[in-house]
This record gives sequence, C-alpha cells and structure tokens, in this order.
Amino acid sequence: MFDATSTATGLQRTRGRARVAMADGRLTYLHQEGAAKAMLPRMHGRWPEVVFLNTSGGITGGDRLDYALDLAPGSRAVGTTQTAERAYRAAGGVGWVRTRLTLGAGAELHWLPQELILFDGAALERDLQVEMAADATLVMLETLVLGRMAMGETLTDLHLRDRRAVRRGGRLVLLEPVRMDAADLMRPGTAGLNGARALASLSLIAPDAVDRLAGLRRVLPADGVRAAASVWGGRLTARLVSADAFALRRCVARAVTFLTRQPLPRVWQI
Amino acid sequence: MAAPIPMPIEAALPGDGLLRLTQWLSPGFPVSAYAYSHGLEAAMEAGEVTDAASLSLWIEGVLRAGAGRNDAILLGRAMAGEDPASLAEHAEALAGSAERWEETRNQGAALARTLTAMGHPVPPLPYPVALGVAAAGLAVPAETVARLMLHAFAANLVSAGVRFIPLGQSQGQAVLAGLHGAVAEVAAKAAGATLDDLGGAAFGADLAAMIHERLEVRLFRS
Repeated sequence: MFDATSTATGLQRTRGRARVAMADGRLTYLHQEGAAKAMLPRMHGRWPEVVFLNTSGGITGGDRLDYALDLAPGSRAVGTTQTAERAYRAAGGVGWVRTRLTLGAGAELHWLPQELILFDGAALERDLQVEMAADATLVMLETLVLGRMAMGETLTDLHLRDRRAVRRGGRLVLLEPVRMDAADLMRPGTAGLNGARALASLSLIAPDAVDRLAGLRRVLPADGVRAAASVWGGRLTARLVSADAFALRRCVARAVTFLTRQPLPRVWQI
Repeated sequence: MAAPIPMPIEAALPGDGLLRLTQWLSPGFPVSAYAYSHGLEAAMEAGEVTDAASLSLWIEGVLRAGAGRNDAILLGRAMAGEDPASLAEHAEALAGSAERWEETRNQGAALARTLTAMGHPVPPLPYPVALGVAAAGLAVPAETVARLMLHAFAANLVSAGVRFIPLGQSQGQAVLAGLHGAVAEVAAKAAGATLDDLGGAAFGADLAAMIHERLEVRLFRS
C-alpha cells in the first residue's frame, strides 16, 4: 500500500506514514516512513509538542499520507503541523490523508494543526478519527483556507471530503464531515460560504466543556470574523468564518489559548 | 369462548401508506415544526435573508448542502433497517448547535409520541430516524418518503420566512414551488447513500444556528 512505485500516469506519488506514541511526556514509539515525519522539539517546561510534517511540500492527486498519535493514560501533549498543508491542483486521482488520534484515560491532547490551504482544482479526501476515553480531554482545531490569499485566488473547482469524527468512551460525539465540490463554491445565497475564504472549527470535548462556553464567547468577537459557539452532547464547538485568513488566524489563536490554557504551539506564526 | 385473535396494527390502521405519510408530514401533525427556524431567524435578523429570492437561496443551500441532505440520508438508513441507536448518535454528533439538536430531538420525540398514541409504536429518536423507523413498514419507497420529508422541511422554513420578513402567502408558495426541483434531486441522491456520504458545506446556516442562541428577541426556538 505504501510502496512508492509509479502509478499508471507515470508520475511518482507521495507516500508517507508517521506514528507516534507518548506516555508520561516521553516518546514511547516512533515510526516514520516516506514523506511523513514527526518531530519532538525540546520544550523546556512546556507541554510536549509533536510536530507532523509532510516533506513533499504539499498534497496532490494520488498522494497517501497517514498520521497517528497515541497518548497513554494520564499523559498530555500538543499535536500540530510544521506549516500550513497545501492541497495542489490534482492532475489525476484524489489525495488521501488519514489521521488517527487515541487518548487513554485522563489524557489531554491539544490537536492544533495549521491551516489546510486548498488550491483551485484540488482533490483531497481527509479522514480524522479520534478515539478518546470518557474522561480524557481533547481540544481540536481544523482550519480550511480557500485559495492562496496573497494571489487573490478564487476557487472554482474542488473535490474535498474532510471527515472529522470523535468517539468518546465508544460513543460518537462529534461528526463534522465537510463535503465541498465546485457546486458548493459557486452556489449563491447566504447558507453556504457567503463570501468566506477561511473557515475554522474549534471544539473542546471534556468533562468541563459546558462551563467554558461563556468564556469562549467572550474571546470570539473580532473585526472581519464571524464567530459563534454552542454546547451540546457534552461538546463545545465554535465556528469561525472570514474573508481574510489572517484575521481568522488571529481570532482562532485567541480562542485556542483560552481553551487550552497554554501558549500557542511554537511552530505557529501569528 | 376463545380470545379474539389480535389484529396486526398495520391492518387495524385505516388508509394506505402514502396517505399516512401525508398526514404525519402535514403542518397540522403535532410536532411543533412551526416553532423552529433551523437558524433562519438569525439569518433574517442579520439581513442576510430579506426577500423571496434570498429566502429561496437560503433554503436551497440547506437542502443541498446542509441538514436537508443529511436528514434524507439518515431517513434512508433508518428505513433500510440500520441500527436506530447508532443513527441517533450520528444525528446528535452532526446537529451543528444545541438548538439544532433540540429541533431534531424534540420533533422526533413528538412524532414518536403521537404515532405511538395512534397505535403505531415508535421509540423516541431524532426526527429523520424516527420517521424512517415509522415509515419502514408502509410499503412506500424511501425516495418518496425523503421527498415528502424534505418538502415539509422546506415548507416549514418558507412559512418562517413568510411570517418574519414578511412575505405574501402567494409569494411564499411560489418560493416553495421553486424548491421542488432541489427537493426531488436531494431525495433521489440520498436514496442510495450510506453514512459515509454524510456531510455538507452549509457554513453560513451552521453559523446562523449558533448565533440564534444569543438573539435577544426570538420568535423561534432555533
């Protein structure tokens, strides 16, 4: 499955797999293969930070990347990515990224990847699955940026399946399957994108999720960003949308800092 | 004297399947659909939906890329006999906001309560799952049930728009008639879909549903 042989089109496709397990703040397992890497920079008293990286510099049709992070009971860590991930125009086929996160009893994970930037013509299917113990704590962020901001790019063609699912104590508590095609980019009206170029979803799944709603709502308001939050099923979720990816990022950073009660991941640049 | 042979519930209830469905999905059926706007009230309050044209686009977006499509998939899976408890979990995990979860949970519970009282026992489940469980024995194709459910959903949102914007009754009916194509397409595609096909891109509607919780004056519960 992960051999790097040429495909029918004759193009070399990226393959990569990075799996990390942590216990008591220490690395207990590391497996890296192909273009997927995981780094653990020295954190000097801060929470351990696992930084995933796709060394191929982006994803295109036919690529397959597979990430996993496992936290033993009682351990805590931050998971993030070295840079924003780029999904390039796919010449053929669909890129595929799978991420599996597991949290043992009482574990706490802050899953804070940087943005996914979708180029015009990108074809990508991502699948994020989290299995967490009933008393574990998860902060989870996903940010999509539609087109390259600096180039003023407007997307007209896209195939995106971006499924995020969290099971807590075996029960499905979060299902957020983003499904966006060309028709969704073009559809007029205000129920869909409504001019948004950057979209973030930030969730807290924790025993005290309900108690954090009012505080999160206080840090959300920002110029140029529309944001709101709600709690149901033991889960707190905020949605943020903006025409400006930079304004969104600053607002997301404030909300993340509030929910995690920790500094932002060191690799983030605000 | 021998006890009378109990008559099966299906045989005891008069009327064919399509008529029963029409009754269950009519605005007069006591699920309080009129009390919910699915976040539309917040979009109208914000000036995003202000007339017949913008109302039609908003509802079409929710049908094609939001809860309309997902509810049709959940309905289809329930009719196909997939585990209702698992489908209910999916409905809650997908709901999008506290009020949207209450909207589907409360309407599903009211549907189940009323049908049970009518001699057609259905457990309390999120609305499309409860409807799917109830409709499974009616010998009506899943696509037809989905069409009628989505039509009722669209009609309810049109009615919310007519009351809030406000629009004339005939304008509202013209909006609804204009949505028939979207209703039929979404129902047709959902008929063969699986839970892996759940998903959407109704970002504006999802945000509106959350914003609705904080409106100071609210005519609707969602």
